[in-house]
Amino acid sequence: MSKGKPVRRRFDESTTTADLRKYMAPFADRLGYKFNTDDEFVEEVLASEIEILDATGDVFCPCRVRTGDPKEDAKIVCPCIPFYRDQFAGLKKCWCGLFILKEVEDGLELLGVIEEPTGDIDVPVFRVADLPDGQIRHVKVGKHDIAVARVGDEFFALSNVCRHAFAPLAEGFMDGYYVMCPWHGWRYDVRDGSTDHPGANVKTHDITVVADEVRVRISLGR
Amino acid sequence: MSVMLYALSTCPYCRMTRKYLEENDVDFDLLEVDLLEGDERTAAIAKVKEISGGSSFPVIVIDDETIVGFNKKRIKELLGL
Ligand code: SF4
Ligand code: FES
Repeated sequence: MSKGKPVRRRFDESTTTADLRKYMAPFADRLGYKFNTDDEFVEEVLASEIEILDATGDVFCPCRVRTGDPKEDAKIVCPCIPFYRDQFAGLKKCWCGLFILKEVEDGLELLGVIEEPTGDIDVPVFRVADLPDGQIRHVKVGKHDIAVARVGDEFFALSNVCRHAFAPLAEGFMDGYYVMCPWHGWRYDVRDGSTDHPGANVKTHDITVVADEVRVRISLGR
Repeated sequence: MSVMLYALSTCPYCRMTRKYLEENDVDFDLLEVDLLEGDERTAAIAKVKEISGGSSFPVIVIDDETIVGFNKKRIKELLGL
């Protein structure tokens, strides 16, 4: 399988579903998810993951197929939520239904739900405490590269891509409500994406805080 | 009517789909892609990607219609159950 490089093994033959739960729960929590409320179903999915772990050396998704391309396959190691934030937030669960959004009360009801919603979706990106005041960071939501900035207790989301030469704005410098591009210093207002360079404003996204989670609104087109 | 179920042996929704079809006496062909090896496996993955646009399972093909995931409602509709 892996040529030369040693596989980084988090788990081994003795790993149990309880170990997986313990390891995955805090990770999912940071991303805005919890285990499905249907315990039997969770056990079933995790038991499948253990089977896959024994056969392959990692906990690949039981509901997606490994292509053999390591880059592609890295996106289906459980929990895979960061790679499919928009799709999963739309479904309110991960593809397999192992994880559901924290506010979902009955995970069983979602089990047969597969229709992907269209329209505006609020996608959890991180927790309030994960971004200190005066900082900005990059998040990938589906195909969108977004910079999320915090000023006091306000959060703002704008495109991460500078309109000048496409530098990542999240690596820039914050000054009040402004972010300065790391490459040549164009200034953008994080509140509305505006800059004083004509025609070079960047797109912004609505942002909400639900409990202690920051959520960025994107629209899923179809 | 032809019904083809592309599935993974490890996938809970695939099992549910299979059970559902069996319970409703639907005649269907089943291909468990993860149990294939070598060229057969590569070909099956390519085929599923072609019809479903991805590598998520189950994929159910009912005549010319493709359903990705255990979408009971659509399966029911297409089978006239
Ligand atoms: S879809 Fe769910 S079960 Fe599958 S890898 Fe992603 S998080 Fe894990
Ligand atoms: S790339 Fe941003 S100012 Fe040049």
